[in-house]
Amino acid sequence: MSNPGNTIVLWILLPMVLSIATSFLRRWKKIYHGLSMMIPLLLAVLAVVFSQNLTLNFAGRHIVLSDSMAVFDRTLQITANQLGMVSFLYFLCFAWNLLDPISKESQWFGSLSLSITALWVTVQFLNPFLYAAVVIELITLLSIPLLSPRGSPAKSGIIRYLSAQTLALPLILLSGWMVSGIETSPSAEALVLRGTLLLMLGFVLWLGIFPLHSWLPMLTEESPPWTSSFLLTIMQLSLSFFLLKVLNQYGWLRNLPELVLSLKWIGALCIFSAGVIAAFQTNLKRLPAYFFLAETGYILLSVAFRGIGGLEILRMTLLPRVFGYWVLGFSVSTLQQALDDNTLDFDSLRGLFWRFPLTSVLLFSSLLNLIGAPLFAVFPARRVLWNLLPVDVLPLSILVAIGVLGMLILFLRLFSTLVHPKQEDSQELTETPKKEGPVLIAAVAFILLAMIVFGIFPDLLDDPFRQLWASFQNLLP
Amino acid sequence: MTDILYTLALYLALLSSLLILIRRQWTLNLITLTVQFLCLFPVLRSFLPLQVAIIQPLTGLMVTLILYLSLINVGGIKRIDLMLRLTSGEVFRALAGILLLSLLLAFIPQLQPTVFPAVPGSYLFLCLGLIVLGILQIGTTREPFYLAIGILTFLCGFQLLYNRLDFSLMLEALLVAVNLMLAMMGSFFVIKHAEEEAS
Repeated sequence: MSNPGNTIVLWILLPMVLSIATSFLRRWKKIYHGLSMMIPLLLAVLAVVFSQNLTLNFAGRHIVLSDSMAVFDRTLQITANQLGMVSFLYFLCFAWNLLDPISKESQWFGSLSLSITALWVTVQFLNPFLYAAVVIELITLLSIPLLSPRGSPAKSGIIRYLSAQTLALPLILLSGWMVSGIETSPSAEALVLRGTLLLMLGFVLWLGIFPLHSWLPMLTEESPPWTSSFLLTIMQLSLSFFLLKVLNQYGWLRNLPELVLSLKWIGALCIFSAGVIAAFQTNLKRLPAYFFLAETGYILLSVAFRGIGGLEILRMTLLPRVFGYWVLGFSVSTLQQALDDNTLDFDSLRGLFWRFPLTSVLLFSSLLNLIGAPLFAVFPARRVLWNLLPVDVLPLSILVAIGVLGMLILFLRLFSTLVHPKQEDSQELTETPKKEGPVLIAAVAFILLAMIVFGIFPDLLDDPFRQLWASFQNLLP
Repeated sequence: MTDILYTLALYLALLSSLLILIRRQWTLNLITLTVQFLCLFPVLRSFLPLQVAIIQPLTGLMVTLILYLSLINVGGIKRIDLMLRLTSGEVFRALAGILLLSLLLAFIPQLQPTVFPAVPGSYLFLCLGLIVLGILQIGTTREPFYLAIGILTFLCGFQLLYNRLDFSLMLEALLVAVNLMLAMMGSFFVIKHAEEEAS
């Protein structure tokens, strides 16, 4: 038996070291991209392999990993049943690095995305867990060169994003200090209220929840779409894991009756505001932000319904949602490159379907998937969640319905814009569709097929993640 | 003697922070930022052992050095012109800063015993003063360099406060990393801005 290391070294320290090492290989693009893709894939696979009991029998050797490490006066711990989460995060990093060479947005993406993923893994497993707020600030700072690459000026979106993430840090840390003695305190009501408010405000700033969401569309509009889609996706996913961790750890918070109702209202308001604002948008690059906001709403609703299967719904939507963001980010990035236009206003997109039919189909299908249209991957879980709503409070259902309607209007407007060319270009465009190459045809066919197959057989995506919530014992029924 | 030094450092740190908020001259801002960080030492030394109390001021000096080197590279270090007339924006920021500090001074006697009973009033004034001046800086600038300085001031105040509430070496290490990353971000923006101007 050998004990060569532990989970912290393997899934946090090693990726950071490798990230620095790979950054020196940027000149050799193929090697750099190959490594940026293979390292997260390998880490994701290893996390699955070790997820039983941190042991592996390989070539006659029995390898056992230890699960914790002391850093200064605190500990970091990743146990076997938490490796599903680790695997998910590295798989996400792999998925974005897979298509990064096509997007050509930032030469730093490969190495920085690996560091950022390692830091998000740290966020999940740091003890005391609220110190993770500082790690999130580090992630924000690390993502700045990706969001505002050299050659493009730093605009208001980046500044607001940085300010919001920074303001969240003290709120979360102070809430941790404030509620430290809450379980034993005889008159804890005031502390509970203060602690809850600080924590919730921290999450609102982090996730860009309505009404403090203004940085989201500004950021996606100003930043390269492929990079921002990665950063927002991994942030949303990791923060939802982190929210579950907070609820799992804090019994006083979990059992607050007002919390469930607040989460429902905040969730519904996010979906409503995202739908209503998105319906009037005229810029393609701002759209991912509104889908992100709406999805945050659905995540909060799922958490609020945890007593009646909400966590299963959340688990079922994880991969389809990531898949939706991935396709959306890729199609927007491809269109931006093809048009050589940083703004992507609807006016400049007129008749685009006839020049880039496959990319347009990809864009349409990603939007339909995220809206939750039947036959697409997100639909099965979304249908269950929608069905839970009327049982509860009617105004919530109305807000969600208006939000979904807004998204559908947006889809129809975009469809009409892409299909109808400007009068003067119409004949030329319809007669000469631009060739998009066999690789793209195969990729689009595969992605569409995957979206529909996962929509019809949702268990295919859900099965590998059955144990994802194993570490949140207090939240499970 | 220690008390005098403590009080002097406390007010000098706040004055430096106020100067950073008001005057937007890179050289002057770097000097005042250095003073602000140096003044933290006597304040921190009043309740922390020497080897721990020195961490935050030392990090601050490293941060200032990183920013200074980037400014030198882009030719941003110029003679300080103290005779330059105050602009309306500067007058506004000065008044807003003084107003916020006065409000803090008025409310701290009520706030301190109810929310932060373990933190002495003057110390709390310094922490919250740096926090509000930092927020004011963040809210009144669109220039990333000043945003970085604003965040540094804000985090400096918060780090001071949290050190008193619940000191942890790990948190201190993480915040040092954040400060250094912030300095690098500030440098990145300074260099980026210079490149854009040149092209």
